[in-house]
Amino acid sequence: MVSLVRTPIRWATAAAMLALLVVAACGGTSSSSSGATSFKGTRNLGLDIAITGQSALYGHAISQAVKLAVADLNSSGGVAGYKMQADILDDGTDVNKSVENTRQLILQDNVAALIGPVTSAQCAATSPIAKQNKVITMAATCNSYQLTTEPDLLNPYWVSIVPNTYMEGTSAGTLVGKLPSVKNIFIVSPNYLFGRSETNAFVAELKKVNPSANIVNPQSTWYVPYPTNPRWDSTIAAIQASNPKPDLIYSNIFAADQDNFIKQALAVDPNFFKTYPMTTLSSVDDLNSLGSSYPLGMHLYMRAPFFALTNAKLTAYINHYRATYNGEYPSDWAVMDYDAVMTWAKAANAAGSLDSDKVVKQLAGHTFPSLRGYNFTIRTQDQQANVGETIGTTSDVTGTKYPFPTLSGITNLKGDDIIMPLTLVRELQAGQCEQGGKASTTDFALCPSWKS
Amino acid sequence: MNASQFLLFAVGGLANAAYLFIVAAGLSLVFGALRVINMAHGSLYMIAAFVTVVVANSLGAALGFWGGLVAAVLVAGAVGALIEVVVLRRVYRQEHLVQLLGTYALTLIIAGAVRLIFGAQYRTMKAPDVLTGSVHLGGHSYAVYSFFMIGAAIAIAAGVYLMLYRTALGRNIRAAVSDPDLLSASGVNVALLFTTVFVIGAGLAALGGVIVAPSQAVGLTMDTDILVLAFAISVIGGLGSIVGSVVGALIVGETISFGLANSYTNQFALAFIFIIMAAVLTLRPWGLFGVAEQ
Repeated sequence: MVSLVRTPIRWATAAAMLALLVVAACGGTSSSSSGATSFKGTRNLGLDIAITGQSALYGHAISQAVKLAVADLNSSGGVAGYKMQADILDDGTDVNKSVENTRQLILQDNVAALIGPVTSAQCAATSPIAKQNKVITMAATCNSYQLTTEPDLLNPYWVSIVPNTYMEGTSAGTLVGKLPSVKNIFIVSPNYLFGRSETNAFVAELKKVNPSANIVNPQSTWYVPYPTNPRWDSTIAAIQASNPKPDLIYSNIFAADQDNFIKQALAVDPNFFKTYPMTTLSSVDDLNSLGSSYPLGMHLYMRAPFFALTNAKLTAYINHYRATYNGEYPSDWAVMDYDAVMTWAKAANAAGSLDSDKVVKQLAGHTFPSLRGYNFTIRTQDQQANVGETIGTTSDVTGTKYPFPTLSGITNLKGDDIIMPLTLVRELQAGQCEQGGKASTTDFALCPSWKS
Repeated sequence: MNASQFLLFAVGGLANAAYLFIVAAGLSLVFGALRVINMAHGSLYMIAAFVTVVVANSLGAALGFWGGLVAAVLVAGAVGALIEVVVLRRVYRQEHLVQLLGTYALTLIIAGAVRLIFGAQYRTMKAPDVLTGSVHLGGHSYAVYSFFMIGAAIAIAAGVYLMLYRTALGRNIRAAVSDPDLLSASGVNVALLFTTVFVIGAGLAALGGVIVAPSQAVGLTMDTDILVLAFAISVIGGLGSIVGSVVGALIVGETISFGLANSYTNQFALAFIFIIMAAVLTLRPWGLFGVAEQ
């Protein structure tokens, strides 16, 4: 028979042991150890990302890069004394889900910072939430320039280390405008913030460089509904039916949409992209997804392709990534999002704190190393980094070294050469580049300095 | 738009309509015979697409697609049989809302299972060599595979029609719709009949998934993407009517094809489908070729 005297002691002992286990699991404020390192506690680094949905191709790489970065940070002492934990939620590439996830990450999971979602629509929706709660978001994928310049989207805790749509669009516009054999251009773009922003930048720059360039499809048909129908028969038919025939297709469709468009166009005509050369945003993920089926001769602009940015640091990262993830090659997103985590961590360590106001002061106006072979500086005016862009043409230069084609004629455009001029930034942020005073119509082509 | 351009968009619309019809026909057949709105129909389509890609990529170019087709139909059929026996038999006599909730729950379960088994990444495969290549007509190129999709849809439509109106099975299905109790009294195993019908519906969803797999990335949103359009087609054409599914699919497919290409309608092309659906629901709720419920 159990003594009534002993029972309370047993319960108390059990309760104390349980409490200790709970505290240890939660990290609390007591010290926890990882090997020889002693941490002040554990904090979450939030990532709302497309593990499923239209952009799952990119979300996979991004989540792997963030997890790897967090592990690397913890093995070298954590961030500002804290052990970091990657807190990853799937948004299915859906804006509403993104908003819900961001609220959970901030309000329930108390994240120290966020790594931004994939699409600009999601970023535009989640930025105000992060701003209201003073949580830093490191944007390494979504890239509409409006996120750092549109008056009603301005967020002092938003930092972009990805070339934005102005940088990409105007770069593409300059390149296409200078091609002597290209006069007639067909545009295909997803109808949401990113597509419109980048396409408008492309067209604005194209018109400046080559006023005689002709867009063969009406403006209302430039943009396909997004999320898109997986069948591209109508667009492919429209390209064939164009009069005059386009000399080039300009596109910024991506991920599953790019895969589907290319597959279906090649099914219509194996020489489709020889007949209609195409320039499009792409990434190692897109090249790898179609592998040897990815057409040669495509003029691509890419944000951080590992094979074009060779340097010791990146080579080490490639080996590290491949060793961790079953031989997978790190895509552009894996490079940029690893950079994003490391940049934030460096700033937090410099601040000696995870407090957003202190960390952001160590981000804006400061210079950081990157995997891309150069250091970048985050401007104070728009908190946009002067990161570069890679352009080239798909070819089989590396033979069977990689399971996908790479680029020939590579040019790594420097960030300083393509970043938005400060005069435009100031005019945009001051609301001088809108139609009818509506912030949602913000367009740099409406800015006084652009027009002049 | 001249004649050759019109043909270009028309064929594109037919290719769209082809796979939509095959999937919608299964949904419509199940509702017509069993009076069940199967929200998991898109899930069976997705399962078949994934199975096709995995099997095809394993078997290689020569046998891949055909091996994938057989495997996909068998797997989707088996899953369909399991769903009918375990879930639907318990809700046949329940109101439609219970059936909707039950089958919706299945979509979530299946989506999770597919992700666990096949992963979250998109998968692609090549079309069989005999179905690749292009045809040149009127100065434009057409994918051979598009004609295969159209031909397959016509063959399947004919097959389903013949099954329903020229076979004993079809006679029993139509009798079960009219009076299942009388059919049961005549010695027909109605429960087995219903399972058979559901498996046929699952098979049709599977055929839709098999046919699209070589032409687009196969991913985890396929179930919801197809279900919305399949329901729209079934509502427009009439739930329970195969002819209605044909007409509904043609309306949807051609609306997308011509609508997206036109500068005035481009932004509203997809909305037109649902405007048409709303109009049909308002004016003729049982659909263009459906039969009003008593």
